Amino acid sequence: MVLGNYKQAVAARSTDPDILRKSQDGGIVTQLFAYALDAGIIDGAIVAGQSDEPFKPEPMVATTREELLAARGTRYSISPNMSLIKEVTRSYGLDKVGVVGTPCQMQALRKGQLYPVGLRDVADKIALAVGIFCMENFPYQGILQLVEDHGATALENVSKLDIGKGKFWIYTERGATVQLPLKVTHKYEQPGCHVCLDYVANLADISTGSVGTPDGWSTVFVRSAKGDDIWAKAIAAGAFETKPIDSVKPGLELVTKLATEKITKNQQFIEDRKTKFTVGKELRNPYI
Amino acid sequence: MSKVVEISPTTRHEGHSKLVLKVNDDGIVERGDWLSITPVRGIEKLAIGKTMEQVPKIASRVCGICPIAHTLAGVESMEASIGCEIPEDAFLLRMMLQCANRIHSHALHNILTLPDMYLPGTDTKINPFTPEEPVRSVAKRIQTLRMVGQTIGEIVGGEAIHPSNPRVGGMYKNLSPRGRAKVLDLAKMGLPLAREHMEFMIAILRNYQKRDWAEVGGKEIPIPKDLGYHNQGYMAADTAYGSSSLDENPRWFPERWTEVRPWDWYMGEEEITLEDPSYPVGGTTKAGTKAWPQMEACTGVPLYDGQPVEVGPRARLVEFKNYDEKGAIGLQIARQMEYMDCFYKIIEAADALDCSASVVADEIPQGDGSIGWAANEAPRGCDVHLAKVRNGKVEYYSMLVPTTWNFPTCSRALVGAPWQLTEVIMRAYDPCVSCATHMIVLDEDKRLVAEKLLE
Repeated sequence: MVLGNYKQAVAARSTDPDILRKSQDGGIVTQLFAYALDAGIIDGAIVAGQSDEPFKPEPMVATTREELLAARGTRYSISPNMSLIKEVTRSYGLDKVGVVGTPCQMQALRKGQLYPVGLRDVADKIALAVGIFCMENFPYQGILQLVEDHGATALENVSKLDIGKGKFWIYTERGATVQLPLKVTHKYEQPGCHVCLDYVANLADISTGSVGTPDGWSTVFVRSAKGDDIWAKAIAAGAFETKPIDSVKPGLELVTKLATEKITKNQQFIEDRKTKFTVGKELRNPYI
Repeated sequence: MSKVVEISPTTRHEGHSKLVLKVNDDGIVERGDWLSITPVRGIEKLAIGKTMEQVPKIASRVCGICPIAHTLAGVESMEASIGCEIPEDAFLLRMMLQCANRIHSHALHNILTLPDMYLPGTDTKINPFTPEEPVRSVAKRIQTLRMVGQTIGEIVGGEAIHPSNPRVGGMYKNLSPRGRAKVLDLAKMGLPLAREHMEFMIAILRNYQKRDWAEVGGKEIPIPKDLGYHNQGYMAADTAYGSSSLDENPRWFPERWTEVRPWDWYMGEEEITLEDPSYPVGGTTKAGTKAWPQMEACTGVPLYDGQPVEVGPRARLVEFKNYDEKGAIGLQIARQMEYMDCFYKIIEAADALDCSASVVADEIPQGDGSIGWAANEAPRGCDVHLAKVRNGKVEYYSMLVPTTWNFPTCSRALVGAPWQLTEVIMRAYDPCVSCATHMIVLDEDKRLVAEKLLE
């Protein structure tokens, strides 16, 4: 159950070389939105775009393929995509909205759809929600510290950041690669991430991430009926190349392992913080 | 021997009000008092000491039907006080917002007014909720018009009810080209509907005018030809938008405004001597009950040139477009005639809008405590907000809202009508009572000090 409900799990990658050139792994999110945009399933999507500072994401509304391509890749820092969820249906004038986000953002989205307090006429306009796997996230200052201090690399020279194979990887423009053990990254994590019990975006229509598949491929969980429909259409349109998840290494086994690890660790944290991090008594539940 | 009858509460309008009527033996009103009994909201007191950005948002909360008008009037009164000119494109956005609000409000009022009217050629009153044609398609058209108005308000204002986008100094966000295209699409979709609907409503209203009687509580009540006539003046600041003290030629004149207490205006304590249990719904107030309008009224009585005046659609058309039809139905028809103009204004504004322009003033002064006013032509009439801002904080705030102006005017229009039809007259004013409830300032001699502010 740590992987949530899903209709199918596959290994996939985009068939578009343009998208793959700078994508994090299989280019699933970019390709999915680009396809949905072409097919008229969405009018635009809220994505983590590039801000003025290197590797600092900024939520933006992409309504063209070019804008989507500009937002490719993972930035390992917080992008408050939900902050645009209302505005996108207002001055941006979108009727069918695509949105990508981490598991917590998917939770916020679904909660907003279920209880649309202050989100009048937003709930019915969400056409496609794509979730991404997330172990934890870093504040921008944390990324700065990791790359510039621990990695001794100027952030503007970095071409790609990645977490995989138990390491934090920094690839630079000029070809040098720095790897940091994940252990040093832990203290830069957002404390809020330690209470999260969702690794694979259980509430998204489609969720995706690199874990479980070889380099250049992504694991994709198709979860909702809506997601299933869109995924089937995208496959029929030739947007993705897929392989059965059982045929690839390390496969769902690793995803399950990591998800279990995250959830157990965070459940432990939730238990511990009742006594360890306060004045010796449980935090007051603000809802009662 | 005159009798007193009380209709409380009045129905099919926003807010809580009642009618206390002195009628002669034929049931014709000799003196009518229409008064608000909605408790005081206290918005003007809440505003004091708040920042100028906050106050229009608070003022908007006075009512959910024309929050756009109150937000815009509030924002503009702040701008008038601090002397801030907004960019042209911000004005265009506000214009769209204003017209969108008027469309949805007028359409809503049609639903409230139709049950008084008859299907032409029959003696059947219209039930707007019936699934039968032709009323069903009319109801759907009204819904569509409201949808168009609300959606345009939502795109331009950020929220259809209580818009978040207007701010002191302009607007927070300009439209994206796509948003502008959506506004244009909606307006062009609404335009032919508005024409059809206007023609339908005018036909229905004219039919009512031609009738000899209307059925109320199982009785046939004769409709006088001068239903709702009054000889008061009109007040309007603009056909569509409004005016403020920053204008070169302001079209509202604060020195002509005075305000008296309800104590000086309404009837004293009266005993109800006439009751009609068949009057819909649930009959009038029982005989023997006491009514005390001058104590119960929760509004000030604003006067313009020392007289109550009418504000609203007809006032706008009389002042600017030579409209001259009097009476309750004349007012209703004027309201329908505004539909088309709203759509044309939205289309014009959206066409002229530059989506990449800045919509916030470069410099927003913080205010030196001088008084500023803004008159916004809300759906129901001229909504004037007055404010004093010093160092970004509001020192004084007052709202002179449309229905407050209409209360005493409509009270005079009731005279000469059969008392059973007084609600028809009252509804023609499209009363929106909750914002009309309002406190007034008295000095130690119990004289009004509002005039002093403007010295």
